[in-house]
Amino acid sequence: MQKYNIEIKVNGKNYELEVNSNTLLVEVIRDQLLLNGTKNACNNGECGSCTVIMNAKSVLSCLILAADCNGAEITTIEGLSNDLNKLHPIQEAFVEKGAIQCGFCTPGMILSAKYLLDTNPDPSEEEIKIGMSGNLCRCTGYVKIIEAVKEASRKIKK
Amino acid sequence: MEEIFSVGKRVPQIDAKEKATGQAVYTFDMKLPGMLVGKFLRSTLAHAIIKKIDTTQALKLKGVHAIITRDDTYKIRYGSNSYFFPFTDDQYPLATDKVRYIGEEVAAVAADSEEIASEAIKLIKVEYEELPAVFDPIEAMKPGASQIQSSRNNVAVMIPALAGDIEKGFKESDFITEVEFRLQSAAHVALEPHVALAKYEEGKITLWTSTQAPFRVRENLAKTLKMEQKDIRVIKPQVGGGFGGKLEMLPLDFCACLLAKKTNRPVKFCLTREEEFIYTRRKHPMIFKLKAGTSRDGKIKALAGEVIADGGAYCSYGPTVVAAAIMRIGIVYKLENVKIFGYRVYTNNPISGAIRGFGGVQSGFAYESLIDMLASGIGMDPAEFRLKNATDPNFTAFNGMEITSNGLKDCIRLACEKSDWGNLKQNKKTNLGIGIAIAADVMGSKMYKSHESAGTVIRVEEDGSVILFTGAADTGQGANTTMAQIAAQEMGIDISRIRVIAADTENTPFDTGSFASRVTFISGNATKRAAQDVRKQIDEIVAKHWNILQERIAHKKELIYDLENQFNQMSFQEAVKLCYSFEVGKMLIGKGVYNPPTKPVDLRTGKGNVSASYSFEAQIAIVEVDKETGKVKILKIIDAHDVGRAINPMAVEGQIEGSLIMGIGYSLFEDLKFKNGICPNPNLFNYRIPRSTDTVEIETILIETNDKEGPFGAKGMGESSLLPTAAAIANAIYDAIGVRITDLPILPQKILSALKK
Repeated sequence: MQKYNIEIKVNGKNYELEVNSNTLLVEVIRDQLLLNGTKNACNNGECGSCTVIMNAKSVLSCLILAADCNGAEITTIEGLSNDLNKLHPIQEAFVEKGAIQCGFCTPGMILSAKYLLDTNPDPSEEEIKIGMSGNLCRCTGYVKIIEAVKEASRKIKK
Repeated sequence: MEEIFSVGKRVPQIDAKEKATGQAVYTFDMKLPGMLVGKFLRSTLAHAIIKKIDTTQALKLKGVHAIITRDDTYKIRYGSNSYFFPFTDDQYPLATDKVRYIGEEVAAVAADSEEIASEAIKLIKVEYEELPAVFDPIEAMKPGASQIQSSRNNVAVMIPALAGDIEKGFKESDFITEVEFRLQSAAHVALEPHVALAKYEEGKITLWTSTQAPFRVRENLAKTLKMEQKDIRVIKPQVGGGFGGKLEMLPLDFCACLLAKKTNRPVKFCLTREEEFIYTRRKHPMIFKLKAGTSRDGKIKALAGEVIADGGAYCSYGPTVVAAAIMRIGIVYKLENVKIFGYRVYTNNPISGAIRGFGGVQSGFAYESLIDMLASGIGMDPAEFRLKNATDPNFTAFNGMEITSNGLKDCIRLACEKSDWGNLKQNKKTNLGIGIAIAADVMGSKMYKSHESAGTVIRVEEDGSVILFTGAADTGQGANTTMAQIAAQEMGIDISRIRVIAADTENTPFDTGSFASRVTFISGNATKRAAQDVRKQIDEIVAKHWNILQERIAHKKELIYDLENQFNQMSFQEAVKLCYSFEVGKMLIGKGVYNPPTKPVDLRTGKGNVSASYSFEAQIAIVEVDKETGKVKILKIIDAHDVGRAINPMAVEGQIEGSLIMGIGYSLFEDLKFKNGICPNPNLFNYRIPRSTDTVEIETILIETNDKEGPFGAKGMGESSLLPTAAAIANAIYDAIGVRITDLPILPQKILSALKK
């Protein structure tokens, strides 16, 4: 198996890693960096639970080869806030609005919301629905997730 | 307790922050040093005798630590309905005599890596003698069909619902209709797949598993591994959704344990999304052949027919799913003449089992469509027709189900009021329709064991912090939070004092699991009793300290006071200090157990009372149908729900919204297909579940009937919102365009072809 050396910046920290040609970004995040917040529920780019932000865009880390990530800047859920007493406003809104049930989709959901609000700070309900449509949730029926994104938008604007 | 400060509040889940930061640990995330990867060799045939399994070559592969087959097991069959249906214990944890569906687990490998395990699987040789397979339940029931298990005509169980005189009922009917409904299979699609991680140390197995019922997993592990329950510890970490798919010991649990024992290394199985779709459990496809009659003045006179459920290769929870599918109608409507038979049929399809709604989704669609047809047959408003026949409080159903509190009629009235029912019915707009469906559900079901107990232990620590041990399995619905809210209320403390330790068979009391919408009601009652027990211990000490009678002690949030002397009061913190003082020195541990009062079901007549109370609801859908494309647009759904009392209205809404959207998925597009035992769509691209763009406007109306048996009046409600959704939509489509859809999902092409007829 061909090995590659990559340098990536994850949540503000620089890492030099050796990866196989077929190693996926999600595997680097979970298995090498031990950041378990990022999930891979389908490994096929269909569920959105592996969503991370790479170079200011939301991406599916189960569809990206780690070897292609040299020089990339990545934010995972742990990079938003890992401090239970000082959550990021989006995390806060998800907690307060009851947008979290089992929580397995939550990290990906929150990062998709982050990308949405970074690019569109004041989205309409329709824009929120479209912006979050790449992330599957089986628990909530999305009603409270949509409310949480609205609330997060209000919190960030303040 | 006068002051209500915890129950009834919109409390975020107590572990929501951990989930929001990615810190929450699921079995999926767990790793242990030296851990091996487990993988299955699955059957390639739908029905065959296993002649020989040869693992010699596979075992030679470097990195393979062990391979287990039937010969490594005790060949003990297990099932999930052992108490009432012992003969349905029909599955071996690894295929033993035969394979009965494509994908059945034949052997399991433990290896250093996923790649090596996959390589080893390819090297295992299995010799089969192929048998004829049968995939259609109606074909399977015919004499001469290939015999899958030992039961006659492949009927695993036949369950009746019988009352009155059916012939007389039809004679008294002014309008009779006969119709067949067909319901498809569906998948749970919990985001966390089934994962099991086992280790074996000091003669004890520890299994971490993504489960809704750790004590039931332990029960069947002990049985099939021939071990004592004390020597098996099953732990439920955070669970990424269950929806009924994680209620049983599955082969991965068994094989992880056995391989761990064999290799002395931790072994982890994690199913792929494809395995998740096909080889775990699925919804029963069902056929309802129904005939019903009503009098001109709107009284249901007769209901007859049969229900045929495609159970797949093994029974799983099937017998009770079919029982639930035919029994619930008795708590919805006052019926006198009933003759329904439910058949749970073996086929060579994958195993059907429990899924949120538990047979009630299929029957909800069939019965509630039928009810609309009766109403329209006599020209009566469907809501009025339902009001005329709906059950009342303190009513005993024809099949012995004993209703106490019942807000069904209020649900119907309020849903109509909020949806502007009368106006929309009278001033009909083109292609716009409104439809109603109603439902009732259990909260717990004593059909699996001789008891349905739950237990809670509460420890008040020296510093005043509180640890609550419950057997209840939080799978994302927020059970831990509900238990903490109930305990906080009952003890007169702030919820932030409480840490919940849940669902660990070694460290928490027994609980049958998270199913049948039972946790708030049953585990909640156990928790309330434990909190009361510990509070009384504190009260006794405080009363003695003040030299008053214990009856005079009362609680407010964080405060204990004397009802008769305003100068006697102390904070909860001070009270704890007093209890642990040198003079008193009393350790505070409270205990609560609860087993709901029910009556056993007589399987010959279908009579019995499985639940200590029942919940009710009415749902109204407003839809717009595009007659050119056949597309159905749901404009709004109103759900009026008798929840007894909402312990946490935010969590209750979350259950209703989640159920409803799941119901919309099943109504309009979800369809787990099988052709000759093969599933063509086992992925999230070809099996679509609702996305954020599929949500609709939902109005939730909570009706609080304060159930006398429920903790603080609460009832269970986690599944019932799913039951009427499909029928409410179908009835609205009929109202919009006059087309009656009798099989799900309601795809645009079905509407178009129905319009052509």
